[in-house]
Amino acid sequence: MKGIALGQYYPSGSVLHRLDPRMKVIIAVLYIVTTFLAKNVTAFALLLVSMLLLIAVSRIPLRIVLSGIKPVLMIMLFTMVINLFFVGGERLLFEWKFIRIYVEGLYQAAFMAIRIVVLIVGTSMLLTYTTTPIMLTDALERLLAPLRVLHVPVHEFAMMMTIALRFIPTLMEETEKIMAAQKARGADFTSGSLVSRAKALIPILIPLFVSAFRRADDLATAMECRCYHGGKGRTRMTVLHFHLGDFVALTVFVALGAGLILANRYGFGFSM
Amino acid sequence: MSQPFIHTEHLSYSYEDGADAKQMPVLHDVSLDVARGEYIAIIGHNGSGKSTFAKLLNLVLEPTDGKILIDGQDITSPDMTDDDLLALRRKVGMVFQNPDNQLVATVVEEDIAFGPENLGVPSAEIRARVDEALAAVGMTEYARHEPHRLSGGQKQRVAIAGIIAMMPDCMIFDESTAMLDPLGRREVLEVMERLHRERGITVITITHHMDEAARADRIVVLDDGRVLRDGTPEQIFSEPELLMEIGLDVPQSAALVHRLRKAGLSLDGEVGTPEACVETICRAFAAREHNTLVNG
Amino acid sequence: MSKITLENVSYVYGEGTPFEMHALRDVSFSIRENAVTGLIGHTGSGKSTLVQLFNGLTRPMAGRVLLDGADIWEKPKQIKQIRFRVGLVMQYPEYQLFEETVRADIAFGPKNMGLPADEIEARVREAAELVGLDEALLDHSPFDLSGGEKRRVAIAGIIAMRPEVLVLDEPAAGLDPRGRDRILTQVREYQRRSGATVVIVSHSMEDMARFCDDIVVLARGELVMQGKTDEVFAHADRLAQVGLNIPEISRVCAMLRARGIPMDEGIFTVDAAARCLERLLGATDGEGASTR
Repeated sequence: MKGIALGQYYPSGSVLHRLDPRMKVIIAVLYIVTTFLAKNVTAFALLLVSMLLLIAVSRIPLRIVLSGIKPVLMIMLFTMVINLFFVGGERLLFEWKFIRIYVEGLYQAAFMAIRIVVLIVGTSMLLTYTTTPIMLTDALERLLAPLRVLHVPVHEFAMMMTIALRFIPTLMEETEKIMAAQKARGADFTSGSLVSRAKALIPILIPLFVSAFRRADDLATAMECRCYHGGKGRTRMTVLHFHLGDFVALTVFVALGAGLILANRYGFGFSM
Repeated sequence: MSQPFIHTEHLSYSYEDGADAKQMPVLHDVSLDVARGEYIAIIGHNGSGKSTFAKLLNLVLEPTDGKILIDGQDITSPDMTDDDLLALRRKVGMVFQNPDNQLVATVVEEDIAFGPENLGVPSAEIRARVDEALAAVGMTEYARHEPHRLSGGQKQRVAIAGIIAMMPDCMIFDESTAMLDPLGRREVLEVMERLHRERGITVITITHHMDEAARADRIVVLDDGRVLRDGTPEQIFSEPELLMEIGLDVPQSAALVHRLRKAGLSLDGEVGTPEACVETICRAFAAREHNTLVNG
Repeated sequence: MSKITLENVSYVYGEGTPFEMHALRDVSFSIRENAVTGLIGHTGSGKSTLVQLFNGLTRPMAGRVLLDGADIWEKPKQIKQIRFRVGLVMQYPEYQLFEETVRADIAFGPKNMGLPADEIEARVREAAELVGLDEALLDHSPFDLSGGEKRRVAIAGIIAMRPEVLVLDEPAAGLDPRGRDRILTQVREYQRRSGATVVIVSHSMEDMARFCDDIVVLARGELVMQGKTDEVFAHADRLAQVGLNIPEISRVCAMLRARGIPMDEGIFTVDAAARCLERLLGATDGEGASTR
């Protein structure tokens, strides 16, 4: 249980890891927009190449990247099938009874697949694999800080997120302990009907909630004793500074976006 | 004598029992002075009011009656502002029992920074304070670790560092060793006593372990919300029957000397620590020998 | 007679990961029937793994756990029956309470055993009495009780299963001296009345010396020592080597010995130390009188 890792952070110490998390959030947004700009074969090829470069730079093993795509594989296949069968066009490729597949459909399906993969891999390379959840929270708090003017409780959300991240492992450990304790009293979580299995969870859930409330209460007192009084007047130990590398990264991605727009206009191949 | 750092006058606390709106008294008429730089232990059985007393000192709880002066300032006065409250909590830091439930951040050094951040200390200074606090509790090498992977004693040291970084004058340890194994207890005790010795921090420790209480300069015994005894470990542990009666005990060495005294042996000397007891017993042997020689 | 026997038991956490940890390494020992055995060792010595092996919550990766000479994992499907025979009270057991009343909570184990209602009720009463819970408390919510009472409810919940072996992991942790003495005395009393075998895990050498017949010492997943309580505490140096304390009173005796006072070996209770010193101090006097 001690070995549990939160999220997908993979500490390979790459250039991406060292970028300012705020910049990574900005770039990720930029990258997402970029994937939706691509329109023709050249543009999608460019997108694919950028993704492969991103993986290479991140120094995260391909096996891990691939396992990250697995959960969306079904969605990907589904979109591909839909596009393949239902996109009409002029160049008929294949016909059998009522099934008609057009060249346009084939392209469209491929484009969609690429877009999804690039979206997933791109954002996870930039964010989840190379940025810890806590850095991400921190970055979001700082980027969204101006919204405080509009009474958006940015600090409070960030604090909640931090505490959740801090306590998830603790509560997971606690769940294990409670389960063991109830098993020692003959509780059975693995056999019986669905209803009886759901019922069997009560002896775990109640103690877990009681404990979570007790912890919350203790933590609130401890935070009060450490002079916590909300986000007002609070300073931070770590001051984030944008470095040269951050601006270089930003330039690269802006260039990618520009390249894509150019590719859309002057590139060749099927265009959607 | 100079002004005491903590001064309580007829302090009382009771809470309303939700079920039948009855006032449940917890503390009754506690008047106590603690000098700056003192090291005092508060003992008493569960429900004796010792934790409540501690929580009143930095206004986590508000007294129902009585007065508390910290460093000369009346913290029970209605003029207390929010800023005064923050200043009080910075001055009087508190370490709790459950090491898991007082750490906020997912990285050790970020957690230690939490207090100074709340106080609005400039970033560069927070960094310096955190590094210093880490060194003070011997956790420098764990600065970037996740708290949930640390041992109980280490977590508790991180919690102490979090208070140190606020530069307190006084630290209250509310049963901070109760959930630790002997190793963890020793780590926390060592840090606690070093802070007292080297920085002159006023230490108030609340404990069930009599051997820990024996190390303090002074012991206050609470029973049913009242101060039953207030004295040196020497004085307190010379009344084992009284302590037993209120559900406490004495360290084994003090119990031994007491047993021998009751058996009619005359043992002069101190019983505060095991070492003192050994000294006292040895003195009895020396006296016997001397008597034997003289009489002979 | 040995009640539980461990034969070359090993257990590894997170095998093959960077977090791999050998919790137990080839451990063999047995626990005497009808006695109170104390299990001592530091955090990480393997104690917590061990207690979960006794009742089959964890399965050894190598070696066997025998209950009355039979391998408890012979029929893995029936491991639940073993848990009724070897009752385990985990650390801070009050955190496992969940029922609306104390009565229902104590009945949880017996109910899982499939006992008839009147038998369950009889056992609940008996268990509550054994741990010194007032009958009036049975209809209260367990969450309204004091810390010490909650702990006793949790222990009663295990006792109500009438286990042949009762294993308690740090039963007195966090309690005040009175609560601690009360629980340990009751456990001792339960052992005497029921004839069950009891295993207590504790960090307090003083408590172990007072309440246990036998002691098993573990360090870094290996067996260090096993024997009668006085035999084990007589090896203070060996205990110190693995970083364990001896009771304060034994330390005082050692200091006295170092000062040339001929204290007996193997003293680990205040009573024994007092008797020895009374004799020595009296004897000096006596000799003085007789020689002249």
